[in-house]
Amino acid sequence: MKLNERSLAFYATCDSPADKSGFLYKRGERHTAYHRRWFVLKGNMLFYFEERDSREPVGVIVLEGCNVELCDSAESFAFAIRFGGSKSRTYVLAADSQAAMESWVKSLSRASFDYMRLVVRELEKQLQEMSRGLPGGCGGSQDAPGPWKPMPPGLEQCRERLPALPAVPPKENGCAVWNNVPGPERPPDTSGCGGHDEEGAPRPPPPLPPRRRVSNGGTASAGPAVAPSSSTFCRLHEQYSREVARLRQDWQQKRRGSQP
Amino acid sequence: AVLKKRLVKLVVNFLFYFRTDEAEPIGALLLEHCKITKEEENVFSISFIEEPERKYCFECATEEQCQEWVEALRRASYEFLRRSLIFYRNEIQKMTGKDPLEQYGISEEARFQLGAHRQ
Repeated sequence: MKLNERSLAFYATCDSPADKSGFLYKRGERHTAYHRRWFVLKGNMLFYFEERDSREPVGVIVLEGCNVELCDSAESFAFAIRFGGSKSRTYVLAADSQAAMESWVKSLSRASFDYMRLVVRELEKQLQEMSRGLPGGCGGSQDAPGPWKPMPPGLEQCRERLPALPAVPPKENGCAVWNNVPGPERPPDTSGCGGHDEEGAPRPPPPLPPRRRVSNGGTASAGPAVAPSSSTFCRLHEQYSREVARLRQDWQQKRRGSQP
Repeated sequence: AVLKKRLVKLVVNFLFYFRTDEAEPIGALLLEHCKITKEEENVFSISFIEEPERKYCFECATEEQCQEWVEALRRASYEFLRRSLIFYRNEIQKMTGKDPLEQYGISEEARFQLGAHRQ
């Protein structure tokens, strides 16, 4: 099967941050000898290189539909990546220490796209439930296809209906910017994350109500057309009430003098 | 360039393509660091950041289908999913004061941090 190998190699070696990297011993396919390789985990792709500074990977393991488990081996700190299917290979790897092995097993077993998608759907559901549960929420418009309509099942549709997401950068896809706050695309009030940092820096003043989010292109395209006045009002109402709830909570916490 | 009819399947962050009568894919494209461009009517292309002039072109049956594919493919990357996760996490944390990732035991993972430093 053809693969866009050059793009894969680029993904492996470009300076987008790796989720995990380190040396592991990998058991050969036909022989039982272990070879030390430099492993780089990015997303759901586990690349391995002959050396740490090799220019391209020797191979890649796509971490979908697999189980990561400890395994019995003469080699200590060994674990296996097992795939279903009669023709599928099991990859046996070994770390240098118990801690390293546990860390790799933990990272690899949560690396799949499927796992991420599950977590994202859970969080979406939580956000939906929170918005419905708020007093004065959009009770009267159950049929309005606002941003909190229950997601239909299915992968493409589910992802298309993500409400109030940062707008997808026009035409570009997949540049790893997860350790930055991309400027133009973020909803204006996410800068409020400054209140969460470890040093306990004071929370910045609450941002202005997120009016601008109403015109998010992604949300607008997610559902069928509706009388603009009712859905816009509902969305605004929900957004303001979320802000109010948050401010109330902040105020209450400050009164109690406790950190969340 | 000749257009060949293919069955195309988007599965996680891969676009598989098959000859229409076969069960095994002929090939796959990993959809990371790529750019999805709407071309002329019914047509879109995928190009990769390290070779931007090379375009994989796809012609759809209708313009509507074409738009659906473009939207789906732009959201298909693992990195997009990661950004969504970080965004939702942050939203929920702001609303509730609690980190929704704690229940999964993944709240400390570097890959989910907002504004984390690269290692």
